[in-house]
Amino acid sequence: MVCIKQVPATTAEKRYTADLRLDRAAAEAVINPLDEYAIEQALRLQESGAVESVGYLSMGPDQAGEALRRALAMGGDDATLVTDPVLAGADAWATARVLAAALDKLAPDVALMGMASDDARGSLVPGAVAALRGVPLLSYGSELHIEGASARVRRLTADGYDIIEAPLPVVASVTDQVGEPRYASLKGIMAAKRKPMETWSLADIGLSADDLHGSALTRVVEARKPEVKPPTERVEGVGADEAVTRIADWLAQRKLI
Amino acid sequence: MSNDIAFLAEFSDGAPTRSAQELAAGAAELAGAGGGVVALAYGPGAGGAAVLGAAGASRAIVLGDDTSPAVVHAAAAAAAVREVKPLALLAPATPNGRDLAAVLVGLLGLPAFGPVRAVRIEGGRVRTEQATLQGTVITVSEPTDEAQQPAIVLVLPSTFTLLEGGSGSAAVAEAPAADAGPLGAARVVESHPAEAAVANLEEASVIIAGGRGVGSADGFAPLHELAEALGGAVGASRAAADAGWVPYQLQIGQTGKVVKPALYVGCGISGAIQHRVGMQTAENVLAINKDPDAPIGEFADLFVVGDLFTIVPKLTAEIRRRKGR
Repeated sequence: MVCIKQVPATTAEKRYTADLRLDRAAAEAVINPLDEYAIEQALRLQESGAVESVGYLSMGPDQAGEALRRALAMGGDDATLVTDPVLAGADAWATARVLAAALDKLAPDVALMGMASDDARGSLVPGAVAALRGVPLLSYGSELHIEGASARVRRLTADGYDIIEAPLPVVASVTDQVGEPRYASLKGIMAAKRKPMETWSLADIGLSADDLHGSALTRVVEARKPEVKPPTERVEGVGADEAVTRIADWLAQRKLI
Repeated sequence: MSNDIAFLAEFSDGAPTRSAQELAAGAAELAGAGGGVVALAYGPGAGGAAVLGAAGASRAIVLGDDTSPAVVHAAAAAAAVREVKPLALLAPATPNGRDLAAVLVGLLGLPAFGPVRAVRIEGGRVRTEQATLQGTVITVSEPTDEAQQPAIVLVLPSTFTLLEGGSGSAAVAEAPAADAGPLGAARVVESHPAEAAVANLEEASVIIAGGRGVGSADGFAPLHELAEALGGAVGASRAAADAGWVPYQLQIGQTGKVVKPALYVGCGISGAIQHRVGMQTAENVLAINKDPDAPIGEFADLFVVGDLFTIVPKLTAEIRRRKGR
């Protein structure tokens, strides 16, 4: 079961609503780019026969169904969207509670996620979901293997890599080293339209708004534009010696040499 | 409830990492005079966590002195947090720091923030400042009134300044006994250290980074020379790591290291958003690129249009000449 998040496209202009939430309706939305690597990893495992089926799970507004359709166009079998008005503005904890409750119902051997989301960048959801479900976490895998009743990831260390293993079921996250995500073929896009997609409310996964303390344990109290940096100083159309003198003077001015 | 501030102290090779020392100083700053500063230490060498006293810690709880993924110590960490009940728990924005923070969020139902670029305590409440959406928006956040303590805060490198002239040692205690549970079931079955030492970019105050424009592994040689002249380390973009010119540990960016050196020099790096989020808070950014339209030219402090293979060696010589003076 690959957990995916719909995020504003990298190039999209982002705005906050009056209550300081990201205006998701205003921005062009895509599958979180790092989740595409998780999808690719899952599909490779299915193609090699290591897993039987690949499903997708997402939490988000109705339009997140588009992200699930796009994932289904890449491959896989079915999809589930958890959507509820209560969930707007969900933080890492609330997101993890919802995904964990949905995963309890779906009961996959592996819940697979991208290593981070493009918009929040906390990388907290995989670990929090593992803790809530009471299963091992295999994180930041540059490869994921399933063999018999256990899963293994290859994970970078300070100066090399380790192979880390845990018994199924697990929550795993993978990096962008697992292999470039495939494009959806026209055939895939057509096939995706016929693949089953379920929509669940919060009640369908046995949670209430009270369980989630609204939708977050955190709140944004201020959103603003970053400080404007002074404009870039350009050195262009001069010889290498002149350029080097200018760089060295600049370094000296800033007390860097 | 207490005014104590706790932090996750990562150890490597028998010593506290720079992040552990920065977070110790940061926790001491936030705790002020009234609160204790408690380290939750893990990684090889964590048994010697008393040394964190000089960095700002008053107490240290050892979760595990080993190379296992930090997340296997989740149950012990949760027990320690329940016992200390700090106001905030600072975690380094490293894979192990994030994982341990994340399982605490799940196990204890806690508010989580970050990665943040500033954190302060205002009227007994934690307030964090975070760049979101690829740095296009800065948000200030706090726990809701219903949230339990501690607030879990992921902290970027160089958010806090190391304590100077610190001394003394932290009182060390073993972690409270706890069943490791399912999260403890992950184990290292193979370990493959590199043949040559790999620089830790998070510790470097000067980084010379190479990208696609460097062209080959050999192309990094002049960058290493410049790094040596400036007392820095060599980093890379994802393109250079993917090409196999440098190990992935040197990759800077969204899926690599997030760094904040005093000086970042980008050589043959276009400055795609995925790289930019890993270095945009560097204090001084110099870029050298043949392409006058490279995106890095829009956010560097100094942008030099030219051939890096001509400029970098001359610059190394000039820096050596000026330093020798």
